Amino acid sequence: MIEPSRDLSDICAVVGAGNSRLGRVPGVSSLDLLVEAMRNAIADSGLKISDIDGIICRGPDDSYCHHQRVGERLGINNRFGTTLDNGGASQIMSVALATMAIKAGLATTVICGYGRDAWSRTHVTEEARVRNETRPSSQRPQEFGPEYGYFGAVAAHAFGATRHMHLYGTTRDHFGHVAVAFREHALRNPDAQMKKPLTLAQYHEAQPIVAPFGLFDCSLRSDAAGAVIVTSKERARDLKQPPVSIKGFGTHNNTTGWFNNDNMIVTAAKQSGETAYKMAGIGPDDVDTAQLYDCFTYMVVAQLEDYGFAKKGEGGPFAASGALRMGGRLPTNTSGGQLSESHAEGMLQVVEGVRQMRHTYPAERQVKDAEIALVSGHGGNQVCHSTLILGRA
Amino acid sequence: MSKPKPVPRPAPESAPYWEAAKQHKFEIPHCNACGHYWFPPSASCPQCLSTDFAFTPVSGKGKVYSFVTFHRVYHPAFEQEVPYVVALVELEEGPRLLTNIVGVPVEQVTCEMPVKVVFDDVGDGVSVPKFTPA
Repeated sequence: MIEPSRDLSDICAVVGAGNSRLGRVPGVSSLDLLVEAMRNAIADSGLKISDIDGIICRGPDDSYCHHQRVGERLGINNRFGTTLDNGGASQIMSVALATMAIKAGLATTVICGYGRDAWSRTHVTEEARVRNETRPSSQRPQEFGPEYGYFGAVAAHAFGATRHMHLYGTTRDHFGHVAVAFREHALRNPDAQMKKPLTLAQYHEAQPIVAPFGLFDCSLRSDAAGAVIVTSKERARDLKQPPVSIKGFGTHNNTTGWFNNDNMIVTAAKQSGETAYKMAGIGPDDVDTAQLYDCFTYMVVAQLEDYGFAKKGEGGPFAASGALRMGGRLPTNTSGGQLSESHAEGMLQVVEGVRQMRHTYPAERQVKDAEIALVSGHGGNQVCHSTLILGRA
Repeated sequence: MSKPKPVPRPAPESAPYWEAAKQHKFEIPHCNACGHYWFPPSASCPQCLSTDFAFTPVSGKGKVYSFVTFHRVYHPAFEQEVPYVVALVELEEGPRLLTNIVGVPVEQVTCEMPVKVVFDDVGDGVSVPKFTPA
């Protein structure tokens, strides 16, 4: 295995973090939601807008050179800017690329973010609600899927869940514990989209969507955005917030395909995580809180295993043990995650990882004495992955 | 009359697969250089990158690698079909492909179930390969 450069560990920090209004935010484009989150991140950091000389973001599926439109709205030029395209793994890649750009002297202070209008887009008209499509039609498969009634990300991930259940005896009950724990966390987060408690019984009673997944296995349709600001450790020292160190990152893409090899069982989180651990010089036992890309409950179970928090096949019992809850072995998705807070394709997981490392939350939301947070991003056609390891500076 | 199901709109690389299916023949790309079978079709072998390949008849036998059961109607043409199974079948020759499992109640489909290809003539000369318990 190629060794990641430890020279990138602990040289940059996240100094600002923000989110937009979350959930149902009609009348705002995804672009303006993103800028709302960026304004909040800038205010949070205490930086002046003129201090920012880099913009890295991922555009919505139908936008071209999105970062240029973001810069226009922020009223700034930038020394380093681009729009990334690696699905839900893009958001951590933005932070990784910002660190590399700063190390290379191409920028000093980079704003990263992502926003989407998935709730509004699927509810703007009755027709849109029925079609329930977030992607433009040009990106949908034309063969080897629709003729069989195969549509959407729920089914794609459900294939992994079925196979995992077959191989390891994982159960719907295990998945339910993931959903219930994250809902508990969301109830302590005033910004969260979901406001009502969820019991394991309610999880089991919910309508099936694409079995083995029912309603509460699936993440939310959200209007949501998040943003963070990355700068050098030196610059970070005198700013408003306690700086949060970028200790390591990694990526991996199983581009041989979700349906090939054992990619739906051992996900790209495994190699992505190994890279990030090596860059940070830590291992899974050092992680105090995880913010995992929870598009579906099964993906949490798979990642718990791939990141080494549980052995392969034991992620379900690990979740059912209460490990993911506040006070558990590994409090996970402490803002409620994409299952219960809001779905901004992994960006809000980065924001929450940063906030946990600041130790500025009230006790009920703070993972006690947490020194290390692991954040993950996953997506595209289920095969791309990225990992970010944050620490107290 | 319910809305018609989507018909496959083949990419140039997969047109021969659908042409064979019309004749109820099951043929997938087979590399003449390294012997690899692959699916879905593409213009070079994903194992050795050779462009010397041919659509070759295969057994049409395999087993269910994994499957899901659609309860939600994602397309109006499938309103009368739910619940229906979409499966990933691993062919004896190696490649996996998406399909429907037919001729068996949905609750009886399992991983590793042996299956074989059948052809569903959907009209306009189009035939869609599906699988049924072997």
